[in-house]
Amino acid sequence: MGKMEKELREKAKELLESGEVAVVIGYGFNRRKTRVTPVFITDPAETDKLVFNALCVNNLSIYLTRKYKDVQRIGRPAIVAKGCDIKNIVVLITEGQVKREDVYIIGMTCEGVAYKQELLKEKLVPEIMPVKCHNCDVRNPHVTDTVIGEKSDFTPPEEPTGMVFDKIKQIESMTATERWDFWNEHFTRCIKCYACRQLCSLCYCEQCITEKNMPQWIETSAHPRGNLAWNLIRAMHLAGRCTFCGECERGCPVNIPLNLVNQKLVLTVKNAFDFESGYDENVHPPMIVFKEDDKESFIK
Amino acid sequence: MTDRYISKESLGTLITTVNKSGGRFVAPVLDARQVVYKEVASIEPVVDDYILPRNSYKEVAFPQTEVIYKYELNRAGVTIDPVEIEARETIVFGARPCEAASLASLNSVFTWDFIDETYTKREERVVVLSVGCINADDECFCTTVNLSPKSTTGSDVALYETDNGYIATPITDKGKAFVKTYSASFADTPKGEKRKELIDPEKIEGVDLTKLGETLAKTENYDNPKWAELTRKCCGCGACTYSCPTCHCFDITDEGTAFEGERRKNWDACQFDHFTLHASGHNPRDTQYKRYRNRFMCKFHIYPTKFNSTGCVGCGRCIRVCPVRLDITELMEAMSK
Repeated sequence: MGKMEKELREKAKELLESGEVAVVIGYGFNRRKTRVTPVFITDPAETDKLVFNALCVNNLSIYLTRKYKDVQRIGRPAIVAKGCDIKNIVVLITEGQVKREDVYIIGMTCEGVAYKQELLKEKLVPEIMPVKCHNCDVRNPHVTDTVIGEKSDFTPPEEPTGMVFDKIKQIESMTATERWDFWNEHFTRCIKCYACRQLCSLCYCEQCITEKNMPQWIETSAHPRGNLAWNLIRAMHLAGRCTFCGECERGCPVNIPLNLVNQKLVLTVKNAFDFESGYDENVHPPMIVFKEDDKESFIK
Repeated sequence: MTDRYISKESLGTLITTVNKSGGRFVAPVLDARQVVYKEVASIEPVVDDYILPRNSYKEVAFPQTEVIYKYELNRAGVTIDPVEIEARETIVFGARPCEAASLASLNSVFTWDFIDETYTKREERVVVLSVGCINADDECFCTTVNLSPKSTTGSDVALYETDNGYIATPITDKGKAFVKTYSASFADTPKGEKRKELIDPEKIEGVDLTKLGETLAKTENYDNPKWAELTRKCCGCGACTYSCPTCHCFDITDEGTAFEGERRKNWDACQFDHFTLHASGHNPRDTQYKRYRNRFMCKFHIYPTKFNSTGCVGCGRCIRVCPVRLDITELMEAMSK
């Protein structure tokens, strides 16, 4: 057990014993101790189940949303969160989904995680880390109630780099037909399991647009037309909000490169509004604010 | 019928012959960095180094989406055009013995009170060529549900890997007829070709299917707090159900306008929050653990008691694919106590 885990368990125990929180949402091992899985600790005696390592890929902030009524029923939560996970909590706060004081954020300093748990063999090597980790500017978590771990001195590259960025450039240079074919090829594989939506803490709607069936706005069939409609509508709904946590791509059972869509959205919003989501819980995302000095006239 | 042998070369010929005679040949291929069952026209894309394909081959008889009929409304009235069910001979090659047991389970659902011809007509034409496993991974648990790489339930022809091909043991009449029809591809086993040893995955000690069944049969266990404790992490996607070889739920949806369109039968998942939503707005399964409990009960209580069939074949797909790593065997263990 590392020093971080020890500190984490002590903190969790203290929070539960004092009654400051009713549940600690964190990571724990499976039976074989080969993978980690989300755990909900309510008993101070069980805080030893908490772990923190490079397998801790899940963004646990989904459990703070209103979709998880039975988690909310337990009481005030503390959440074990990496910097990237905190970005999502920040968006939830700015969108009025969570009140800052209603969640205790245990920020974990992080040296990166694996892109998928099954890739991690002995130790974390750069090749198996997702692009977000290579460009991470929140290895020292930014919005927290307490921070666990030594300060990271990692500085992200000036210009974000990695496969996702290279691929985006490549797609941008394609003709419209080539782009259409590229995306159709990937979206055709979609099986409409909605893992992308379910793993996204910003997809917190209790009734998703695909579930509005009078009339049926988005065709639910997993045929190319329905798949394209679904993937595009989800992308649009995340514009200016997505923090590029990468959970949708990680969870996709058919390997659709959703990170390309999301990072493109992040770049577009950054260029248009000079805004990046997930950093400041007091700044509202551009798509939900109205400004009198908006340069576009249609809104006035 | 005695054992036959099919070399890798003859397998290639078999694939082209099946295709030429208008049949489908479905085999494990590599697609988007994962092994999946797909239709093939030649042997080139077929892979043999895999544990289990990501998808289940149930989709050859129960496609993810299909048109049941088309409708049109005009001045003359309503016309409904039923869609002919396209039931071609379909050969599934490389199925694992665990999964082969699943079509029988699906059969019992689709023929229970109503014969669902969209399923049965296709299933009748499916020939399953299973290949015994020489490898397994941590997620495999066939032996825990009383199956094993040696099982032949549901296989029409059981194949066993050798160095240069497969030894073929016809199991069912369908399998025997298949070997006869395509006898040119089969031969006597050459000298020196021996079955590779099958793996024997370790049984999970804490699981006792009888006790598990008893626990689930008792109504007082329906509200056991363990359900919530162990499964509230479920994120409510349909990855497990859509990969599962025995999950069979579907939804009927109309696509088109009020004047013309089609009625479709699409896969549905009991893990979705709207699955049980009533028109009144009431949802009897209002939290995720209740939905997970339903899926678990379906596998280990409803299937065995109502259909006397296997609800879970231990293929482990739901564990591999789960984005929150919810391990069904951990629940099986907890409910065996």
